Amino acid sequence: MMELLELFGEHPGWYFVAATLVPLLSFVLILLASAMWCALRPFRGTPVCDALFNLFGGEERGRTPAYVATGAIALAFVLSLIGFIRFTAQQSQFETQIEQSQRTLHDLRTRAAAAQGKDKDELQEQIEAEEKKLENKEKMWESARSYAWQGHFDWLRIRPAGLSDPDRGTALQLGFKIDSLSALMFVMVTFVASLIHLFSIGYMSEELQPEVEDHQVHTRYGHLVRRGRFGRFFMFLSLFCFSMLNLVLADNLFQVFLSWELVGICSYLLIGFYFERQSASNAANKAFIVNRIGDAGFILGLLILWTNLGTFHFDEIFHRLRAPLTDSHGGLQLAGRFVRGDLDPAGAADGRQSLKYSPNGAQVVLFPLPQDRAEHYHGVGPDRDDRVDVFDSPKKDQHGAMPYWLLVAAGLGIFLGCVGKSAQFPLHVWLPDAMEGPTPVSALIHAATMVAAGVYLVGRCYPLFAYEALLVIAYTGGITLFVAATIAIVMTDIKKVLAYSTVSQLGYMMLALGVGGWVAGLFHLLTHAFFKALLFLCSGSVIYGCHHEQDMLKMGGLYPKMKITALTMLIGVLAIAGIPLFTGWYSKDAILAQALGFVYVHPQHLFLFLLPLGTAGITAFYMSRLWLMTFTGKPRDEHVYEQAHEAPWTMTVPLIVLAVCSVCIAWGWPVYDAEASWLEHNVHHAQHHAVLADFGNIDYTVSKDHGEYWVVAKKAEENERLYAYYNHHLAGNLALGLVLIGIVFAGLIYWKRILDPAEAVEQFPGLHAFLMDKWRFDWLYSVVVVRPALVVGSWLAWFDLRVIDGIIHGVAYLSVLLSKWDGLFDNSIIDGLVNLVGNATYAAGARLRNVQTGFLRSYVVFLVVAAVGIFMVLAYFVRMAAAG
Amino acid sequence: MNLAVGLHHFLLLGALLFVCGAVCMATKRNAIGILMGVELVLNAATINFVAFARYNPIFQVEGQIFALFVIVLAAAEAAIALAIVLNFYNNHLTVDVDTAEELKG
Repeated sequence: MMELLELFGEHPGWYFVAATLVPLLSFVLILLASAMWCALRPFRGTPVCDALFNLFGGEERGRTPAYVATGAIALAFVLSLIGFIRFTAQQSQFETQIEQSQRTLHDLRTRAAAAQGKDKDELQEQIEAEEKKLENKEKMWESARSYAWQGHFDWLRIRPAGLSDPDRGTALQLGFKIDSLSALMFVMVTFVASLIHLFSIGYMSEELQPEVEDHQVHTRYGHLVRRGRFGRFFMFLSLFCFSMLNLVLADNLFQVFLSWELVGICSYLLIGFYFERQSASNAANKAFIVNRIGDAGFILGLLILWTNLGTFHFDEIFHRLRAPLTDSHGGLQLAGRFVRGDLDPAGAADGRQSLKYSPNGAQVVLFPLPQDRAEHYHGVGPDRDDRVDVFDSPKKDQHGAMPYWLLVAAGLGIFLGCVGKSAQFPLHVWLPDAMEGPTPVSALIHAATMVAAGVYLVGRCYPLFAYEALLVIAYTGGITLFVAATIAIVMTDIKKVLAYSTVSQLGYMMLALGVGGWVAGLFHLLTHAFFKALLFLCSGSVIYGCHHEQDMLKMGGLYPKMKITALTMLIGVLAIAGIPLFTGWYSKDAILAQALGFVYVHPQHLFLFLLPLGTAGITAFYMSRLWLMTFTGKPRDEHVYEQAHEAPWTMTVPLIVLAVCSVCIAWGWPVYDAEASWLEHNVHHAQHHAVLADFGNIDYTVSKDHGEYWVVAKKAEENERLYAYYNHHLAGNLALGLVLIGIVFAGLIYWKRILDPAEAVEQFPGLHAFLMDKWRFDWLYSVVVVRPALVVGSWLAWFDLRVIDGIIHGVAYLSVLLSKWDGLFDNSIIDGLVNLVGNATYAAGARLRNVQTGFLRSYVVFLVVAAVGIFMVLAYFVRMAAAG
Repeated sequence: MNLAVGLHHFLLLGALLFVCGAVCMATKRNAIGILMGVELVLNAATINFVAFARYNPIFQVEGQIFALFVIVLAAAEAAIALAIVLNFYNNHLTVDVDTAEELKG
């Protein structure tokens, strides 16, 4: 026990490991208990078995699994929170010191520039001392971080034959690395998941009955009646949480991939929770298969990286691909960027080749590890070497090179995996169908776990995306956010609207990551998790209150019936629409500002700003429409209205908590300043310097004598981050204007009913049908993929039936024929021989029986004759022996 | 002509007696007669043992003891055999061994 405490004290990163393992433990516990219960069931009747059986819940199994799972995730939340607080405390302590040191340095430099003669020398000395101090502080923070917040062990090590040295060869490792992003993700995932667990206890209470009637499944005998699956639901939830936490915890791509697949299978199990329903099982299959396409890309990306770099570690990959922050001359212009060049065929010698730097070269330099040794990089420029020797098959501590297009391909492959998981165009089709799962699952998938995984991974892997890959990411996000938002306008299923809004918001995040808004994208991921969980749980509460009615055309005027749900949902709507001071405002403005900054520098990509800007208005419109259609006006369906009621406290408490979070989780000081968000500031700590290298400037590496370098630092007019910073308010105000227009428009149509939506439908029937058909993606995939696959399948079936089966039947016929001949041979020859021996033996026996006369006297004669015979023979031998 | 009695004479007597017994066993149909043949054969063996005990110093003791054994065994054997004969008589109402041909092959 003391050792455990010491471990947590010295390596607080283990708080997060523990938080990851607790849900796994809960999963295993529930699984084992269920297995025991099933195994004991047939043996009831003996007292011991009865006692054990009742211990596991007996016939009525009760809520124990829910308590175990909820307790586990709540414990995980507490652990993550402790870990997060300790991490933030340690980080801010070091950061304050570093900042102070930097400020002193800046002061000294300004004074030195103004000073003359002897003073200047003195100041110079002070500057050098301060520089050393700063460097030491930075190093201390680095080592503290790697000591306390990182760890890994070998899972599988592949050694070349004959090597017994444990550190050689390449290894698949399991490990953890905590930075402020993963710490925040931990807190967010466990917090949202805890509330969703709590909500599920109420929402899934129907499953507690030993017999549940599923009204959507018709059998020959009426509705399907099945056993309740309360425990199973919570078991899967636990596994889901474990997978997601493990994904966030991982310090290498391989571990991410494992969790990735676990998340996939969990979503499959939960979306198909009501698997007797045809639609649910189809949706589960669709989610799984569409994700498989993405994962194929992911695996390709992994293989490319493994082949070229021999490691899956994030840090090692990034260190090898991106140039070190300082070179052997003290300063550096390509800091944190890819360094490209061309192989020089003339310079090849004993396993090495000469690589000549060039800005658009076909190769990317792989830098040797460890990273912090400046002599590994000699810099680029007229007074530097213009080439470097690279090894053909480099070890980790040697220079190497890999083709640039392969790097792009690896990035695109990994991004394809994220496209599948985060439901981006063109693989977004699974997510709306995933609404077939129970509503808490939808909330979990959409807010905290599965779709967050894709965005998180893009953020994690940011340094290995080349410029081309980033552009693809940005455009994918841009198309997705627009397409999904337009579809959401016409949907009438309350959960489908939310599903498309999720797809759209994920598009925002991807777009942000693609245009250099690393912080903005992940910030939006975190804020979105809270208000999207809130919205989904509210919709769950509405659905529960309306007795599983999901169609908004049958709702309306529900506000007096469920005030808590309505008010909390209103907060969620305002947050997602981006009303100032709600969480969504901070993050969405940051994204728009970054997009605007990007478009300033690259005017040819104008759509990357217009799409998210316009969609901000659309988002406000369809979310207001959702709320107004559900809660205001006259009831559209009396039956639903009469029966509607507010949910029990287990469901409303999570709503209130999430609503509070959706308002103020992103606040900073002053509250009205969009730049001052505390959460954003925290995410900012985790930003890899590569982001700044690509889209801004690494200001703390200003070189001693810059200006002469071959590749100079980004000029101000190319600095996307700078423009984003300057234009934050412009972008924000534009978006706010559109949002207000959207809300007013929705109010006119659905609240005041001045405009009739039916007229709009009549005016644009084609467009409406197009949107109702979800841009006909399902039709397109059906024509392009599914039907050709079926046709090919029928051809293959024909081939199977005729050719393969024909061959098999022919072989079978021949075998029968051969067997007949064989049987003949067996019957006549083999059996004949055996019978012959038998008959001969019988005949001999018949002859010999005559000897047995039964007369005592003849036996005596035989005895005597035999004795005499034996004696004669003996006498003969004795005589022979005597003679010879 | 040396008329001294030696080992050969005894062995000759034993062989003669044995042949008498064997012929008796082979020819008699009466069970009691066969029993007598058996006694003759046993006595022939006893004579051999005693003769060897007398003329061969190695078997001085063993020959005598074996002779005693044979005598005792003969007595026991006679008792058992007579019992068998009695039972045989009870079953077949005769002591003619040729009627006991149930074991014929």
